[in-house]
Amino acid sequence: MPKKTYDATPEHVLCRRIPTPPFGRFEDRRIISYDDYTADSGYEALRKSIGMKPGDVTEEVRKSVLRGRGGAGFPCGVKWGFLPPIPEGKAPGEPGAERYLAVNADESEPGTFKDRLLMDFDPHLLLEGIAICCYACRLSKAYIFIRGEYHHQAKVLENALREAYDNGIFGEKGLIAGDANTGGDRFRVDCYVHRGAGAYICGEETGLLEALEGKRGWPRLKPPFPAVQGLFGKPTIINNVETLCHLPSILSNGADWFCGQGVESSIGGPPSFGTKLMGVSGHVERPGVYEFELGIPLRTIVEEHCGGMRGDKKFKGAIPGGISMGILGTDQYDAELDFDIGRKHNVLGLGTACPTVFDEDTDMVAVARNISRFFKHESCGQCTPCREGSGWLYQLMTRIEEGGAKTKDLDLALEVATSMGSMPGTTICGLADGNNWAIRTIINKFRDEFEARVARTFVPVKVSVGAMAKG
Amino acid sequence: MPTITINGVACEFTPGQMILQVANAHGVEIPFYCYHDGLSIAANCRICLGEAWAPNPRNDNKLEPFMGGKLVPTCQTQAQDGMVVHTDSPKAVANQKAVMEYLLINHPLDCPVCDQAGECLLQDYSYQYGRGVSRFEETKVKNPKKNLGPNVYLYSDRCIMCTRCVRFTREVSGTAELYVDGRGNREEIDVFPGVALDNEIAANVIDLCPVGALLDKDFLFAQRVWFLKRTASIDGITASGDNLWVEHNEGKVYRIKPRTNLEINKHWITDEVRYGWKHVHSDDRLRSPRRRQYGALVEDDWNRCLDKAAEGLAEAAEAGKRIALLVSPMLPCEEAFALAEFALSLDPHAVLGVGPVPFEGQDKVFPPGASEDDARAFKLYAEKAPNARGVRRVLAALTGAEPLEFAKWTARAQADDAGAVIITANYREACPIPDLLRVADRESGRFVVVIDTLNGPLVESADVVLPGATWVEKGGTFENARGTLQAFDAAIPPIEFAKPEGQIASDLEAALRGVEVSATSASSVVVVDEGPGQVPQAAEIATPRGPTFSPADTRTRMGDTHAALAMFKTDVRYPEAAKPEEADMRMVEL
Repeated sequence: MPKKTYDATPEHVLCRRIPTPPFGRFEDRRIISYDDYTADSGYEALRKSIGMKPGDVTEEVRKSVLRGRGGAGFPCGVKWGFLPPIPEGKAPGEPGAERYLAVNADESEPGTFKDRLLMDFDPHLLLEGIAICCYACRLSKAYIFIRGEYHHQAKVLENALREAYDNGIFGEKGLIAGDANTGGDRFRVDCYVHRGAGAYICGEETGLLEALEGKRGWPRLKPPFPAVQGLFGKPTIINNVETLCHLPSILSNGADWFCGQGVESSIGGPPSFGTKLMGVSGHVERPGVYEFELGIPLRTIVEEHCGGMRGDKKFKGAIPGGISMGILGTDQYDAELDFDIGRKHNVLGLGTACPTVFDEDTDMVAVARNISRFFKHESCGQCTPCREGSGWLYQLMTRIEEGGAKTKDLDLALEVATSMGSMPGTTICGLADGNNWAIRTIINKFRDEFEARVARTFVPVKVSVGAMAKG
Repeated sequence: MPTITINGVACEFTPGQMILQVANAHGVEIPFYCYHDGLSIAANCRICLGEAWAPNPRNDNKLEPFMGGKLVPTCQTQAQDGMVVHTDSPKAVANQKAVMEYLLINHPLDCPVCDQAGECLLQDYSYQYGRGVSRFEETKVKNPKKNLGPNVYLYSDRCIMCTRCVRFTREVSGTAELYVDGRGNREEIDVFPGVALDNEIAANVIDLCPVGALLDKDFLFAQRVWFLKRTASIDGITASGDNLWVEHNEGKVYRIKPRTNLEINKHWITDEVRYGWKHVHSDDRLRSPRRRQYGALVEDDWNRCLDKAAEGLAEAAEAGKRIALLVSPMLPCEEAFALAEFALSLDPHAVLGVGPVPFEGQDKVFPPGASEDDARAFKLYAEKAPNARGVRRVLAALTGAEPLEFAKWTARAQADDAGAVIITANYREACPIPDLLRVADRESGRFVVVIDTLNGPLVESADVVLPGATWVEKGGTFENARGTLQAFDAAIPPIEFAKPEGQIASDLEAALRGVEVSATSASSVVVVDEGPGQVPQAAEIATPRGPTFSPADTRTRMGDTHAALAMFKTDVRYPEAAKPEEADMRMVEL
């Protein structure tokens, strides 16, 4: 029986130990230590996984249709399936059989702060997810690439990592390494925290790999894909923090349990199962990170969980999940937040599912200008269209906001945005596409506001004086 | 052989080749900036994007859009059998137009004062693929000009961030001085503080730069490139045999650029070779013959100096004394042959020796640590003479014995039975070797003929001085350190009254035979047409007295007469015939 609707107050999965409305108060959140975590059946899923064959763990994840929570929504199990088999007769981590896990904790998308909650309060959930992934995919080293601005979160993670090592989760005597008696599929797994230097583009998976290698964070050309040739030229899996945090519950409760949450696609696409952290920001009464089942309408989130619009203003628009996904118009308040949103509501996709809500007083031209400023600042400068186009767009947007533009500049802005890349784009990574979607949807959905700011372009019409005189 | 269709042209390729490489090999034009044959692929300029269709084996090999129909970078996509690629489809052309527009919005468009104008890919592609007007009304980003190192200026406002130069310093020179600084449209190429772009092959980044961002300090504002004519030549100052272009105008060399030869120098040359032509136009060049009169050297015309030289040499030969000839390793094989033949005709037991071979530093392979046979390796040679092996080969063939090396030759030339000495030098610097000066010593009573290019102590001690020509002023064949024989042509006429050494040998022979020269042909004025837009140059060229020396004929004669020199008929490599250049504008007769 396909599931068509979301559960209004689902059991919290990711926020099970983190007090979140309606089951707890934001104020009660605190760091979950190793002891607290294990007291609440922590690391049980890892122990259960180790009892299974690695292939069975992967199969369970594939069956759950867990889609990546980083933004693209690519099925996690399928991604894992791209890994080439380990060379015959070698254990993971031996020379010639190095394979890596890169954990994408470079959460730099404006308005997105969901991974931060997990790293802030429940770091062991992430570490357990990492350990399960490493065991299932036969990865010997995991690098948590955390954005540079997350000082506190990096410290929390490092403390948790030390606890995990001390308690035999990672390392030589770790759970996955086993002891002399266990044998079989066991191998040593290590985990490291690597802090980024504060560039948005290092959250792009191949840019992240370059940064991990100590290079300039310029996204790589694909193919070869990271699963074949990634970090240091070795097979590498790159997963988002939230994706990995879903693994323990999927392994302890089974794929069927996971598929019982969230919704099937209403337009025949792949389903959106499971719960999702949604960090609501903007003009709402009670912003914060909540956990909902996928498929929940934006209006329900704002009206029922976030205390409504701030000051009882009217809803004007919202960015569904990070500004590179585009914007939802005033008439799209009821948009369901699931992976179908891109095709149904003319945005790029669900993204990180962290809505930024705007009320009726918002100046959309200023929003557009601010967005283009962000992309201009964060364009890595590798590909010509993005490097030059993002700067041009920002200047155009600034001129439009200041009132010095004409209608033709609006059309030019749209053309520049489109030629920069419109999925499939013309650049190496998707940053230009994000810029294009943001600017294009905001101009198209709020065009009257832009037109009110620009002067008309008069096209001179050639008048034949002789004819006039005759008539 | 697998076949791919690019813009309607069926092209055969070897598996593993990229689409752009196949197109280049078959003369199908696809625009590109960041791609370079000698560097890794960056695919960041995005102008080479094309639409591709590939046969789908799961669908009865029907053509299906490749990569979901998105534009693929042809420089980075491997060619597949049966693939169809279009870079002239509306979608691809729209992208080319967009990229051209993007590249130019922050470009200063200062072509009138830019050295690159005329050989600039931005200009060419703007003409072919761009749009006529700019729609950019905002403020341009103005990046600074930088002094990167001893030979290179960076005009970073003109830079299009193709990163060829950065990749070069990382992959070829292995020195990694250059890097990309900043982000987005404000990023620049830069050097690290206190680390200049200063390595032996650094100036290659100037040739790599597709626009006018990296410029040669030496060539800066020296000449507009459309006035330059180029002649295929060979490295004439080290033993590398590097292939190069000598670019010149009105009888003056302006610069030297590498000529691609994947077996020898790949795409590069050393800075030493690049700037090693300075002595050609040095103030110290010998411009006129001299002879000794009342103990002092005086400039005189060729005929009298040749007569004087012939007289002195004949006197020594008649007295039964030995003639000693020192052939410089700077001379091409043909001239070594002509000079040695002349000496042997005077004195069948002439003492023939190879001039001193200068060495400087050590051989060096780039990138550091690479093996010499590596496909990407580039070697710098410590041996600073282009043809030591060729001269040895020629002398050995003529005498039937190993030629004397310099030390043994000096000993023989200073022996009592040596009556006359002919010394050729032609080095980049005036030859100050003490042993050589001792041979030429005025007190010894030997008759000394010096054939050299630069003024110096050696010239001062000669009885007759005959001005020779540097390698850009004559043709010939050099044998490089790896034993490859490569022929080259004269790029410019010899300066003033200088003559190629081969011609001097021919003239000396004529003077010995007593060939008279009519007064009118002592020197003549030849008008050299330098092409459209240039003032025709009146060049004074010293008239030959003997038969005109021709390197090509000499090569044939060498092969015909001496079995040991047969390789000069068969194994000499000639520069590839230049591809006819297609005019992008039709000439209209006025």
